[in-house]
Amino acid sequence: MIGQFLRLSARGVADLRLHPFAQLLTLVAVAMVTLLTGLILLGLHTVNIELLKSRGQVEFQVYWKTDADAETVVKDWDTIRAMEHLKDFKTFTPDNALTELASTLGETGDFSWLADNNPLPYSGLVSFHVPPEAQDQGWAAGLLTQIKSLPGVDKVHYTPFQADLAQSWRTISHMVIWPVLGFLALIVSLVVHNTIKLSLMTRLDEVEILSLVGARPGYIRWPLLTGGFVQGVLGSGLGIGLLAIVHSFIAEALNFPPFLLEIRFLPPEYLLALAGAVTLVSVLSSWVAVK
Amino acid sequence: MVTVERLSYNFGTYWALKDVSFSLKKGEFLFLTGHSGAGKTTLLRLLYGALPVTRGRASVAGYQLNNLRKRDIPQLRRKVGVVFQDFKILSDRTVFDNVAMALEVRGMPRQHLERRVRAIIRAMGLETKSYSICERLSGGEQQRVAIARSMVANPELILADEPTGNLDVDLTMHLMEIFQQFHTYGTSVIMATHSKEVLECVPGARILHLQDGRIVDEASGAEPEPEKEEPASLGEVGL
Ligand SMILES: Nc1ncnc2c1ncn2[C@@H]1O[C@H](COP(=O)(O)OP(=O)(O)OP(=O)(O)O)[C@@H](O)[C@H]1O
Ligand SMILES: [Mg+2]
Repeated sequence: MIGQFLRLSARGVADLRLHPFAQLLTLVAVAMVTLLTGLILLGLHTVNIELLKSRGQVEFQVYWKTDADAETVVKDWDTIRAMEHLKDFKTFTPDNALTELASTLGETGDFSWLADNNPLPYSGLVSFHVPPEAQDQGWAAGLLTQIKSLPGVDKVHYTPFQADLAQSWRTISHMVIWPVLGFLALIVSLVVHNTIKLSLMTRLDEVEILSLVGARPGYIRWPLLTGGFVQGVLGSGLGIGLLAIVHSFIAEALNFPPFLLEIRFLPPEYLLALAGAVTLVSVLSSWVAVK
Repeated sequence: MVTVERLSYNFGTYWALKDVSFSLKKGEFLFLTGHSGAGKTTLLRLLYGALPVTRGRASVAGYQLNNLRKRDIPQLRRKVGVVFQDFKILSDRTVFDNVAMALEVRGMPRQHLERRVRAIIRAMGLETKSYSICERLSGGEQQRVAIARSMVANPELILADEPTGNLDVDLTMHLMEIFQQFHTYGTSVIMATHSKEVLECVPGARILHLQDGRIVDEASGAEPEPEKEEPASLGEVGL
């Protein structure tokens, strides 16, 4: 059983040399579709990152415990300064908080009598950029707990409004991106499907003859599926390779004022999804072509 | 082996077969004759499941062809060797590969397969062409490849559609001898042919004459030879 399975798979691969020119054309077509799709994804990805970069920030007002000693507080401040995506961190000691308060209240207030027994705690105003990979609301909540768990921190006020703004930006960009991705998937499916189907036309007589001499459908189909799989993997691999080459030429093309746009390469999971989709369509098309 | 009762078949409004009934016992030899377009190929195609039986009844090698299940078709075709009128060989493969195909689909081990394939190729007089690409063979050579493929798996029934159409008289006689060897070994044969010489080759064969899709005449050919004492064997062709 396994022997037969391996034998048929090997036959599928070996059969690729039967019509080398047709196979090569198929391979090139699949690679080109992958490349074009990859370029569009590259564009989308870059735009998405750029737009997100300048949007959204989250702000936290942090109050330390009144009995926290200066050493603990300074340590906490350092921890916060080391955090990722930090945009700004304003810190207030009880003293300068008092001065700040006094200046806000103007002449009417004189709090110098409090200087020796200052009731104000250490505090700070932290703001973060919402990073592109912050896909979910959990990100801001995570920051909140992280800050709250610092040893000297008493309470944290969190301004959800801005985080939600970033979130809604994400929602909007998703609304645009998903239809575009769907459309791309459709195009890739159609083109790859037709290409594979055409390349199998040269083998329809073989399919017919095998069936006439008593071959089971699985016997006929498995080598074709293997062939489709190989075409899909090689084609998409080639396409992604070309994409990497093209990218290396255009990566810095827009990286000058006023654009200052660095074109980033697609993350591995995007590439995998692209190659997987192309391969899947190749295999499925090999399946339906001989129905 | 084959039972056909009131079988009719239409392509659209055109009835290619009308009310055909006959039966064939195991080991019998049956010729189908009739003018071009009489329905010989159509009848054979029905028998190996390439056309569906919609009117009348038919069974072949133990398979009911009415409502034949899809997964039974390969099984049926493994019991039946078919020589197609248009050969249906793969022109970009070698003679060996084309003949071996019939055994490969049955999952026969390689060393066993090679011996049988070589033997039948030799019997067809094609041993010097074993590794020639079929595209480069003459019409008669291609026809012999088709015949070899139909016989190599030693089927219970051979359906041959004009198997000698491209062959000269000598070769025709030689091949008819091989068909007859299979026949004496117990293989049933149905052969469509236009040729009088071919009809005379097989003593004891029955002849169905088709005209416009109907059987108009049934006759037996030349007188049967006296029964042989020795059980026949396929040793001569090496199978
Ligand atoms: N697929 C088809 N569609 C329509 N008509 C068909 C089809 N196949 C066969 N026919 C018609 O059915 C009739 C019988 O054809 P068939 O091939 O059975 O004849 P035949 O007896 O084998 O002829 P020949 O001796 O020339 O091979 C012919 O008139 C043919 O035109
Ligand atoms: Mg015919």
